Amino acid sequence: MPHSRPALESRQPLQSSAEAAASLATLRRGDQLFETERRLNAVLDNASVSIFLMDDRQHCIYMNRAAEQLTGFTLAQVLARDCPLHDIVHHTYPDGRPFPLEECAIDRAFPQNNHERGEEMFVHADGHFYPVGFTASPIRDDAAKIIGTIIEVRDISEEKAAAERQRLLLNELNHRVKNTLATVQSIAAQTFRGHTDDGARSVFDARMAALSTAHNVLVADNWESASLRGVTERVLAPHLLAEVDTDRFRIEGPDARLHPKVAVTLSMALHELMTNAAKYGALSVSEGRVRVAWTLADLSDGGQRLDLTWEESGGPEVVPPSRKGFGSRLIERQLPLEFDGTAAIDYRPAGVVCRLQIPLIALGWMGQDVIAGQVPR
Amino acid sequence: MTKLSGRRVLLVEDESLVAMLAEDMLTDLGCEVVVAMRLDKALDLARAGTFDAAVLDVNLGDARSYPVADVMFEREIPFLFATGYGVKGLEPTYRDVPVLQKPYQQRPMEHMLHRLLGGETPPLKRSAPTPSLGCTCTPTPSAAPTFRADTPP
Repeated sequence: MPHSRPALESRQPLQSSAEAAASLATLRRGDQLFETERRLNAVLDNASVSIFLMDDRQHCIYMNRAAEQLTGFTLAQVLARDCPLHDIVHHTYPDGRPFPLEECAIDRAFPQNNHERGEEMFVHADGHFYPVGFTASPIRDDAAKIIGTIIEVRDISEEKAAAERQRLLLNELNHRVKNTLATVQSIAAQTFRGHTDDGARSVFDARMAALSTAHNVLVADNWESASLRGVTERVLAPHLLAEVDTDRFRIEGPDARLHPKVAVTLSMALHELMTNAAKYGALSVSEGRVRVAWTLADLSDGGQRLDLTWEESGGPEVVPPSRKGFGSRLIERQLPLEFDGTAAIDYRPAGVVCRLQIPLIALGWMGQDVIAGQVPR
Repeated sequence: MTKLSGRRVLLVEDESLVAMLAEDMLTDLGCEVVVAMRLDKALDLARAGTFDAAVLDVNLGDARSYPVADVMFEREIPFLFATGYGVKGLEPTYRDVPVLQKPYQQRPMEHMLHRLLGGETPPLKRSAPTPSLGCTCTPTPSAAPTFRADTPP
């Protein structure tokens, strides 16, 4: 008797131990194979993921029940066709062009590594297309030579539909935000027509434009984050575009991803600095220059802090303002409160210098993990 | 001079520009305003500061202001929530707290603060809802009576 009892018992979970013990003596090698096959079939046919076993000619030599349901073909039909599986389930591009085997990412070659992943569009037996996610792994012989492929395939129609719904919702959100800003602008224009001077109106319009610009940068990344460099360049763009001498602006610093709140408030802060510079500071004369430079400092809690300096030079001699306006209130008071940072505007005679220190809050918002289907950690 | 003159109000609002607006409104009503824009700072102020009332924005971006509300309940300081979502956007426990619909407007803010500071009993936190079906465990008697802030006492 070559087998020890416990080892055999542990390989026979489908039988009660009493039955297993009783049948032990009568088990022959063929019965063992039969048992193994029965167990494997139980596993494979009850699996909800489709499993295909491919030989070295890319012919499918086995598919489980889920694969039969997914493709609309029975294993017997696939075997009878005696051709690469690709030609049965993957023969046509969704646009109707033929899809030759040589162009197929799954079947073109053996996967070199375990669990190579991808997404494709398959064609059902009834002719409709469906999106699938696949995982392909090589099967090796005793000499480690690759002799086939095992492919797991999942119908990802639901995921695709959910992603499409989310994309449409985001488009709608973008549309509504832009519309709301435009509506506010229009209401202000109608309300204050004839009641305020044009100066106040143009200041208001420019601020609305800065806010709208910040939102544009956010839209580009689905409201999840905004590029620091993108935010800076876009806010300064109204001036950059009007400049013949592009050297007047120097923007220096590594890019970083900003939380939407940081992006919006920073945009507004930079806009106020730029407006002030254009009115009284370095941008009010042709020789004046502005340098926006930043560094990212690592914090002990694993986060980063943005240290940003706005520095004007070459402008008229700076006279500190007699009263604090919207810009300085936003920068020196609100910004530190909102982000637990620091901010100071120094009205140096040679040019305004503004220093900001903003800890970059982690990306994300309350409930995002739920939306994204992630389990909260 | 109105009932609101010289009253100290804690304003918790996480968006800079919106906070500026709400602060100006409260200041124009004669209130002394202390602004907090982050949950941790708001909690520190709520625990240690002296306030006659509080205006709490519910959604602070990465957090909700409910912990501040809990401190207000404990200290029996009247407060209201400011939210764009209305009462239905509130956790059930806090649905008896008066809600100021955002965007902020001076008249509703003034009206609600008047009522809050007009000697009405501050709202009580609702007891946690007890399951009504299929629970065989011993029900814990709810200690706190419920009270609707918008009904006259």
